[in-house]
Amino acid sequence: MALTLLAAVLLDGLLGEPRRLHPLAGFGRMADGLEARLNKPGKTRRNELARDVADSRASPRLQESAGARSRLRGALAVSLLLVPPTTLAWWLSTLPVAGPLWGVLALYFALGHRSLHDHARPVAEALGRGDLAAARDHAAMLVSRDREAIEPAAATCESVLENGSDGVFGALFWFLVAGPAGAVLFRLANTLDAMWGYKTARFLHFGWAAARLDDLLGYLPARLTALTYAVLGHTRQALACWRAQAPAWKSPNAGPVMATGAGALGIRLGGPARYHGAWQDRPPLGTGRPAEGTDIGRALDLVSRGVILWLALALLGAAIIEGVLHA
Amino acid sequence: MLEHGGRLREASMTYGIPLADWLDLSTGLNPRGWPVPPLPAEDWQRLPEENDGLEEAARDYYGCASLLPVAGSQAAIQALPALRPACRVGILSPGYAEHALAWHRAGHGVIPLAPEGIDSALAELDVLLLIHPNNPTGHAFEPARLLAWHARLAARGGWLVVDEAYVDATPKLSLAASCPMPGLVVLRSLGKFFGLAGARVGFVLAEPALLEALRERLGPWAIAHPSRHVARLALQDADWQAATRERLMREAARLAGLLAARGLAPRGGCALFQWLRAPEAARIHEALARRGILARLFAEPASLRLGLPPDEADWIRLEQALKEITP
Repeated sequence: MALTLLAAVLLDGLLGEPRRLHPLAGFGRMADGLEARLNKPGKTRRNELARDVADSRASPRLQESAGARSRLRGALAVSLLLVPPTTLAWWLSTLPVAGPLWGVLALYFALGHRSLHDHARPVAEALGRGDLAAARDHAAMLVSRDREAIEPAAATCESVLENGSDGVFGALFWFLVAGPAGAVLFRLANTLDAMWGYKTARFLHFGWAAARLDDLLGYLPARLTALTYAVLGHTRQALACWRAQAPAWKSPNAGPVMATGAGALGIRLGGPARYHGAWQDRPPLGTGRPAEGTDIGRALDLVSRGVILWLALALLGAAIIEGVLHA
Repeated sequence: MLEHGGRLREASMTYGIPLADWLDLSTGLNPRGWPVPPLPAEDWQRLPEENDGLEEAARDYYGCASLLPVAGSQAAIQALPALRPACRVGILSPGYAEHALAWHRAGHGVIPLAPEGIDSALAELDVLLLIHPNNPTGHAFEPARLLAWHARLAARGGWLVVDEAYVDATPKLSLAASCPMPGLVVLRSLGKFFGLAGARVGFVLAEPALLEALRERLGPWAIAHPSRHVARLALQDADWQAATRERLMREAARLAGLLAARGLAPRGGCALFQWLRAPEAARIHEALARRGILARLFAEPASLRLGLPPDEADWIRLEQALKEITP
């Protein structure tokens, strides 16, 4: 298993994201199609209900029951989309010869380590040559904020640290715990959360299941990621930021990851950000000076060193288990 | 050195507008400060002595028996961090930056916090430092809440430090009358409400042992003789204080209304300034400056702080300028 890990990380580093035939693109289309069918008020009383829900005077109970039905449909959609590929991934991993090879492929598919670098580097390079507009353009592809209000260095550092958990350590964790099926499930659940996990009118209820599942699957990996950042950076400061700042962050997994990562790097992240024209008060994260362009490279480096640490620990663990079994 | 408001000479050069033609709203000082009378020559010629009635006047005004006059609260801001071994300090963010700088320089770990993050962070902190009401956001807490935080900190030898530079117009928010208590430090200033920023007089309200340590660090004759004289008279002038409180509250409401009417509704404020957040803060700042009106611009988050205009003609000038620069 540790060797599979190593092979997948190397494959990811070598190839990066598949340019053509990205499996997530097909999955995304299926998810869109399913959402178009399922994310609407109940069929029998559709018109009546839609009117009631739209009407601000509609009774809270009616809105509540409509919300509950929408959540149920969202949960159904999540199950329909996740159970078949996860089962398939599990079945493939049980095959005698193809199994281990599939393991490498599945983890490669779930890992987004190289793509983290590919997306963040251009921001750092643009900032390095003083091209703020280009830096904003590149950063806008990483975060869903309003382009003209993006602080590119800080936004990119936040994205790198957070995606270190979602795109790298989470996949490694679930692969180690549950094999290829675990990595595939984690990656697909994370994709669904990115598509549906918004508190907009459209997704508040329908996206509820996707968001909760992602929170659940990400809970342990996020904390192990935070610990990794702390160990590899300014440890005491990082742990203090985790404990003091993470509780105030609205996302239960991103809070520890970003607060600890910022503390480990000795930079300040968080703070107000503008989404869809409205400023949102976000608590401060980290400590020290405000993030600069060069901190993007430091954040990427922190994630990369974390990957090396995890690989070393996995190989060490495998060697110990091997030793115990053959002793 | 950090940048502050009130840099009128620099603005005068930048925009080519003579010093005398500016309307300076960049400071948050009472523009109609306590009227200083002519001073006797001996104020300049003799060393200041402690039994001149200043401390007594301050005890009456603050309702606290244990206090130390300092050369502006900045002197205390810089000296306080040296009175504790390296520890963990939570500071409200955004907030007046001199505090964080002073604690950081003295080797303490500074953790920026959002107002709503304080409760959960308190267990991690040795010192909680609040500017109250906060500068520039105007954020204020219930005094009972502050005292509850103080109790939690003091129980384990921690401090609550409250910079009450802007509290004089709203004495109900102040903890001055609760001093002295172990672990409670309140900073007061004569610069804002009394408009005597040039005199450099402030007070530290705390336990006698802490004040003694502070006095040792600051040395003798910390405050100039003329400043002591003026400060004593201002603190004794209860009629002026009452009338000023009433006027400032009225004018604060007027300023908030004026801004709101131009689509620039303040996000917060207190008796002496209003704070508004706008992505185009820099543009508004410059447009005002071209019209000879100096506001205080903050980059992070993009926001402006505006103090009160001194007289009716200036109110009209501000209103006119706002009309010109807003749609």
